[in-house]
This record gives sequence, structure tokens and C-alpha cells, in this order.
Amino acid sequence: MADAPAWAVEARSAATAALDALPVLTGTEEEWRFTPPADLGMNGDGAEGGTASGTIDLPAAAGRAARLAFIDGAPAPAEIAELPDGVIVSELGEALATHEDLVRDKLYSLAGFDDRPGAINAAGWDAGTFVYVPRGVQVELPVEAILTATGAAGRVYGRTLVIVEEGAKATVIDRYLSPDLDGAVHASTVVEMFVADGGELEHVSVIGWGRGVRHQATIRGAAGKDARVRSVNVTLGGDVVRVEPTMYCRGTGSDARALGLYFATGSQHFEHRVVSRHEAPQAYSNLLYKGAIQDTAHTVFFGNLVVPPGAPGTDAYQTNRNLILNEGARADTIPFLEIETAEVKCSHAGAVGRVDDEHLFYLMSRGVPELEAKHQIVYGFFQEVLDQISFEELRDELSAAARAKVR
Amino acid sequence: MADPILKIEGLEVAVDDTPILKGVDLEIPQGEVHALMGPNGSGKSTLAYALAGHPRYEITGGSVFFDGKDLAEMEADERAQAGLFLAMQYPVEVPGVSVMNFLRSAVNATRGEEMPVREFAKLFKEKSALLQFDPSFADRYLNEGFSGGEKKRHEILQMALLEPKFAILDETDSGLDVDALRIVSEGVNAQRGPDLGVLIITHYTRILNYIQPDVVHVMFEGRIAQTGGPELAQHLEDKGYVEFGSHEPAAAPR
Repeated sequence: MADAPAWAVEARSAATAALDALPVLTGTEEEWRFTPPADLGMNGDGAEGGTASGTIDLPAAAGRAARLAFIDGAPAPAEIAELPDGVIVSELGEALATHEDLVRDKLYSLAGFDDRPGAINAAGWDAGTFVYVPRGVQVELPVEAILTATGAAGRVYGRTLVIVEEGAKATVIDRYLSPDLDGAVHASTVVEMFVADGGELEHVSVIGWGRGVRHQATIRGAAGKDARVRSVNVTLGGDVVRVEPTMYCRGTGSDARALGLYFATGSQHFEHRVVSRHEAPQAYSNLLYKGAIQDTAHTVFFGNLVVPPGAPGTDAYQTNRNLILNEGARADTIPFLEIETAEVKCSHAGAVGRVDDEHLFYLMSRGVPELEAKHQIVYGFFQEVLDQISFEELRDELSAAARAKVR
Repeated sequence: MADPILKIEGLEVAVDDTPILKGVDLEIPQGEVHALMGPNGSGKSTLAYALAGHPRYEITGGSVFFDGKDLAEMEADERAQAGLFLAMQYPVEVPGVSVMNFLRSAVNATRGEEMPVREFAKLFKEKSALLQFDPSFADRYLNEGFSGGEKKRHEILQMALLEPKFAILDETDSGLDVDALRIVSEGVNAQRGPDLGVLIITHYTRILNYIQPDVVHVMFEGRIAQTGGPELAQHLEDKGYVEFGSHEPAAAPR
């Protein structure tokens, strides 16, 4: 690996210093009252690691423009199929030096190290994914990065930087996988996405950890003038998972969406904190998260539409719906608004409901067994979100995941 | 004589602890079409839901045997798999569940084996044509955006696909215009035969002009109050339910 350039080394030191200086999180902070920070190792109280309890087969790289993989955060050989001229898919640690001109002013600019999750990642990441799509270029097939955890490392890091230039288009997938682990592993991941004027990006994050993984994920996307950026996040695995997507409408006419699906079962605890920030007029944002909760699992959704002064013509929506599958499963939903501009269209809604007995009866009265009927109802509940996602493989994947979980 | 396909004795059913059916006796031999008439609130739909196995309808007394099996021991899906079908008065909309996936899983579940996709597509096309059901609805979500008539046609389409031994049509005529009623009735008549028993539940006699019943029963206050031939329907058409203490007419309002 090329030596990191001085600016990157300095950033690393600054992040480490920030981590020392930032106050310890106690769980009494407003934004931490639903998920104990210690469960996510936010104060450096690391998981033990050192006990690799299994390996996981990487899915085939078929149907991908490029596929990177990181075993316990360390890069495995990349598989690059065919990329249009000028498109870069590379290991982020390498890109610090080899693509310094592209990386330097973007890295840490959306997700820096002014809070503990950010500082932990900035101080600790050693490998990641860099995707660059030059002006006007379309990458037809998705680019995928896979981060796995085997239990050998107590903490795994992932970091993704995506830059889509004017009028360019791409789909990028970050997938997080592990077998069921005997001990606890902490995962820290950050995704920064920049979509320039008229560009289009769909980012799909699939959290498919096995037992034992506790994951804090930060996802941030910025959309330029008339740009479209979609963050799709699917949370299925891990013991404790906290995902924090923030979408920035930076250009006039931009369209930023954060779409999410989750299915929490067993004793899983998922928190999603989803925000859109309107920093330009006439922009559209939509936060749509839907989840199913079963057994004694608990999910929390906090959403916020932030419209500071100077963003007239904002069109912003926020919806969170939860489907409770049995007594004992629990969902909290807190939709929030901060509107400081007049002449905006904003709506927010949060709901928690049980499976409708009439739906179940209708399907069963046609001979469909209860388990299959519940599966269809859960998958049907997700459909409203899936309908907005271009990456079609996600449908079958989610159907299979729901089938494996529902009981 | 063979055992009847449906044999109900002294059936008592409660909904949320309120007794609705208070001792229903009814026998339907296989291959016959029976009509169950009665004023509002007499318990007709309660009988339909109780037979189909809706969890809110609790059997508190008596017995129901379907094709020799004790229905009280069976879940709703098992009853359907055994060949019982209920065409509902108000089919629910189930968001996100596609009509095609639903119909396929219903056909597979009632047949007990996976029907090849191509064979299913052919069957669906054939039966849709029979009921003039727009095949493009296969891509829609279950009953979402269906008109009242389309919902009812979809119910009878399911009956045609699932080929039950016994079908209960719960107020299938309600909300249908004459054309839709004719199409739906033709769909039912096409399935009529020695291997299908039918119970048509209706307040009004109108649908019985299209599907001729062999036997007509009148239900009142949770019991079968009278049983007769098709002429009983004609009698009710003329007199309404007045002899049963209700002033509701049995002729459809014009």
C-alpha cells in the first residue's frame, strides 16, 4: 500500500485527538436515550475479538461492474469486470495517495470527527471503498463492497466515499455480512456520497450481520443542483444496530431520498435516525422507513426534516410505519420537523400497528398456511418502499430474508 | 345415500361473546345448490364466517361436518385445503401483496403441490376470460383499487381456480349491476355439477333468478326458520320477511 499522504496522516491524528477530547457518552444525551452507547462501544470499550468463530462465503460478483471485499476490514482482491473510461473503483486507503486530487477535499467533509461515532471511524479505519464516476458517464451495473466480520477482530471498520460528477449515474452497494459469532464484534462504518449537478446515485446498504455484531453506521449524501440521490438501507442482522442517514439537498431542484426497510426479530435492537437538510430552495426530500418487528425485538425510528431559512419551495416528506407481529415486540417512532422557512410543503407521519387479522384470514381462507400468509403480508408491507428502489435484486433478497425470519 | 357434503347440527356461534347462531341445523347433499335467505342480522354471514374459520367467530355448541371432517378442529387454511371456499361479501384489500403471487400460492396450497408457472398462467388466462376479469389486474395489489364488481368477480375467479368441493357465496350479488351479476352467475353456473355443493347467502331473491337453487332456507334470529323449494324464494319475493316478524322486503330495491 502506498504511504498515506501527510494530510491524511494529520487527519488521522486529529481524529484520534478528538476521540480523546470528546466527552464520554453516558446514554443520558437526548440523541442516545434509546440505544446505550456502551452497547456500540462508543467509549472505546471494545469488544474482545480474537475468537474467529466462522467464515462466510462471499456472494458471487456476477452482475457487478466491480466488487470489493474486506475481510474483518482488510482488503481482499478486488474483482473489476468492466468499467467505462474514467470510472474509478479502488480501495480507499490507496486512493488517498493515488487519487489525492479527488479524495482530499471530499473525505471527512460530510462525516468528520466532531462526534464520537465519526471520530471512532476516522481514527480507526484502514481500508475502504472509493468510487468515482466522471461527468456524464453512466455505470450500468452496480458497484458493490462487502465488509465481513469473522470474530478475529474485535472491531471492524468500513468507509465508503462515492463521487458522482455532473450528469453521471451509478448504483453502489455496501453489504455487511458475518456468520453468527460467539463473542461480540463492534462495527463502525461511514458512507459519504457526493452527487454533482444533474447526477444520479442510488446507494444500497444491506446490514446482514449474524449474531454478535453491534454496528453504528453513518450514511451521508449530498445532492447538487437537480441531482438525485437515494440512500436505501436495509437492516436485518446484528444484535444492536444504529443507522444514521442524513441527506443534504444542497442544490436547487435536488431530490434526496432516504428509503429504509428493517425486520427485527429475536432480541434485536435497531435504531434508525434519518434526517434530511434543505440547504437550497425548490428541493424535494422523502424519508420513508418501514419495518416489521417480531419476538421481543425493539426498533426506534427518529426522523427529522430540517429546513433552515432560505429554502423556499421545499417539498419534504417523512413517513415511518411499523408492523408488529406479536405481543412483546416493540417499536418507537418519533417523527420531527424543524422548519424555519415559510412557503414550504412538509409532512411527517409515524405509525405502529399490528398485523390485520382480516388480512391474515383472507389469505388463510384461500388455503395459504399461516406462516406463508404472514410472510406475504410482511413482504407486502415492504412493497411501498421496494417500489421506489431501482436495484431490483433487493426484492428477491428481501423476500427470502423475510421468509427466513417470520414465524 | 352418500353423506351430505355439509352437515350442521345444533350449531351455536358467538362473536365477541355475543351469541348469534342459536342452534342451526342444515344439511346439504353434494352437488346441490342451496340458498340461505333472511333479513339483516339473522345470522347468515355469521354462519359463513364460522364455516370458513374466522378466528372471531367462536363455535360454542353443536357440530359442523364438512366432507366427513369436523370443521371445529380445523384452521381456516386447513378448511380451504379440504375444499371449502367462501366468496366474501367485503373482500379486504391487502397492501403490497400482488394478485398473481396470492393466487399462485392459494392454488399451490389447495392442490398440495406446486403448479408449474406456465400451467398456472394458462389456467389464470382461461378462468379470467370466463369471468371477464381483466388479466392486467394480476400485477395489482390484492383488491386495491378494484371496483365493487371487480372484487366480486375476483372472488368467483378464485373459486374457479381453486375448484372447491363446496362454495359459500356471501351476498355475492350486493353491489353488482345487472351485467356484473350475470357474468358472476354464469361463472358460478359453469362450475355447477355433481362435485360442487353451493350455499348462496342472500337477502334478496335477485341472484336466484340467475343461479337456480335446489333448496331454499330462511334464517331468522340465529336458526333455520323454514326450508322449501325454489317456490319459497318466489314467495319471499312477493311477501318479504313479514311472516318472520321483519318488515324488510326480499325483492331487491329498484
